[in-house]
Amino acid sequence: MLLTLALRSLVRHRVRTLLAVAGVAVSAAMLLDMVMLASGMRESFRGLLLEQGFQLRLAPRGTLPFDTEATIPDAGAAAARLRAHPDVVAVSGVLGGQLHVPVGERTVTGTALGVDPRVQGDYELLEGADVDAAAPASGAAVRVVFSDGMLAATGARLGDTLSVAAGYDPQLRSFAGQRTAVIVGRARFRYLAAGQRATAVALPALQAMRGAEGRDRVSLFLLRTRTGADVDAIRRWADRVEPRATAISTETAMRQVDERLSYFRQLAYILGSVSLVVGFLLVTTLVTVSVNERVGEIAVLRAIGVARERVVAQILVEGLAIMGSGSLLGLGLGLVTARYLNGILSDFPGLPASIDFFLFQPRAAWTALGLLVGAGVLAGIYPSWRGASLPIARTLRQEAVG
Amino acid sequence: MGEDRDSQLSRALLLFGALLVASGAPLRLVEAQRLDTLPPRAVRTIAIDERLAVDAGIRLGARVTLATTPGGAADTARVVALVRRRADPSEVARGDYQIRLHLDYLQRLTGAGDRVDRFALATRDEPAAVDSALRAVNAAAFGFRAHRSRDIAVETSTTFAVVSRFHRAIGVITIVASAIFLLCIMLLKIDERRRDVAALRLMGISARTVMRSVMLEAAFIATLGSVLGVGIGAAASAIVNWHYRGVYRTPLAFSLVTPGVVTLAVVLSVLLGLAAGLAASSRLLRVPPLALFGR
Repeated sequence: MLLTLALRSLVRHRVRTLLAVAGVAVSAAMLLDMVMLASGMRESFRGLLLEQGFQLRLAPRGTLPFDTEATIPDAGAAAARLRAHPDVVAVSGVLGGQLHVPVGERTVTGTALGVDPRVQGDYELLEGADVDAAAPASGAAVRVVFSDGMLAATGARLGDTLSVAAGYDPQLRSFAGQRTAVIVGRARFRYLAAGQRATAVALPALQAMRGAEGRDRVSLFLLRTRTGADVDAIRRWADRVEPRATAISTETAMRQVDERLSYFRQLAYILGSVSLVVGFLLVTTLVTVSVNERVGEIAVLRAIGVARERVVAQILVEGLAIMGSGSLLGLGLGLVTARYLNGILSDFPGLPASIDFFLFQPRAAWTALGLLVGAGVLAGIYPSWRGASLPIARTLRQEAVG
Repeated sequence: MGEDRDSQLSRALLLFGALLVASGAPLRLVEAQRLDTLPPRAVRTIAIDERLAVDAGIRLGARVTLATTPGGAADTARVVALVRRRADPSEVARGDYQIRLHLDYLQRLTGAGDRVDRFALATRDEPAAVDSALRAVNAAAFGFRAHRSRDIAVETSTTFAVVSRFHRAIGVITIVASAIFLLCIMLLKIDERRRDVAALRLMGISARTVMRSVMLEAAFIATLGSVLGVGIGAAASAIVNWHYRGVYRTPLAFSLVTPGVVTLAVVLSVLLGLAAGLAASSRLLRVPPLALFGR
């Protein structure tokens, strides 16, 4: 009965109601997008960091992983010290650099990662075989794994043999650390952008190719800890035993990401708040005007004995009906717009392909819906108070006289 | 040869770490002592980022230790100038500090020898001068390549192009939401005038005149609202600039209320107001005046 009356009241002014629902839908879509944006990037990045179960990263002192090209010396001894901790189950050293591939008259350059294939967390092998754990025998070809971008740029295929180099002097047009390599696999590099040129090589092989500047050096250590271990305690321990490196936990990395991307988070909060306020104002205005137009009707209802609470409830239901229907439409619309906006931001240069700015999580949808329902209830408070507090006799007289 | 430039840039990062080459960096001198011309082996002078000076508590005249790698071989230098970054969007989100050194000093520190990462060439102020210099350099050069500054700017501004596209998309969504809101409010506002419209019609005023008056009123309200909106927008813009300039410690303007933006907002509001006025008055004029009175 209550719902029927409220719906009839809304249907009486179809255009007005439809516009209000459309307005709430757009506001709800924006709100959902902003809730997704506020947490999406963070959660997406966290998922990426924890994908392979490495909870700690050790970068050269004072730097973030691969933020500079500084390296950690005496990597072999450092890895042994790190493995000595009872809660550390795996240590993966990674050396970054560049790999130059002469192709005809041109040179293709891409990112090179020296890894231990038994514990690496940087790429996922899609096809073929993995690189060797050890450096190849003198004169033997180095086994390499290429990204799709590298395969496309070089025009090579799995099984091809190429000449690769770790250094290139553009003035002398000469290569340094040149070796013969055979492409044994194709991989997706987790931390690199889609289409980026990348190559994985055995860590000892890349160290040898880089000569003195790469000898027994790594750019980063990844540490996997035992389940349930105190990661922060291990981080502090690693900081102590490796004074030339900074241990970074996932939480620390998340804080760094938060700082660098605070703009998007704040934008999400501001636009989300504005959307909520716009939806609230729209419903409040509409329901208030609707009540103002029906003061005579409400006074009659009160005069024939309809309880004040029932009048309040009917007006609140009107507000909630607009907010509810608009929200449901808006949540669908929000998912479409989020996909579109995510497509725009995914063009950021260097952004890993698996990072999403707008990450849908059921919690985000429930948060947006909860906020909108709350706003719908608040929006009905003033008009329902006005409807419930009408002086019955005076209102009826005014309506009769006109 | 794009790879060559990438390679050079990467090597620059490797060599310099937190240090940046003095030439061409967008810095502004905010405080300085006399720069030295001391021989290379004496204590050299450097200029540091104003933010670094504040964060690390370094004052003019202080001696600091410089190293190209953490824990690597270090050298002592004297800080003789503080510099402030200009409003360069490419550096806004970067928290790293900048240090300016004499070129020979940096070459010595990094072991780069007689090498530079790039040369910046100033050409005569003639349209053809850049093209002719570019051709001449590329024809004569061995091992490096000349690029137009404009081309490099385009290549390095991809991030801002993406952010700009994102802002435009958000702007379109916001405009749609605002338009619906405005249309709804204007419809309600005009609907409230049903009794006035009925009275005017009963007095013999023509439907056309009533419609014009309603539309005029709608346009007036929309204009007034948009002017108020521009004021609120300008205030919000000032708050945004104040906040983000503080957060990122940059003089960059994050939000600009331009004449184009104001014109778009006002024109859109007035057009929507007129559309709402037209729609509402047409509906009202189709209803008999007595029915509008509720009789």
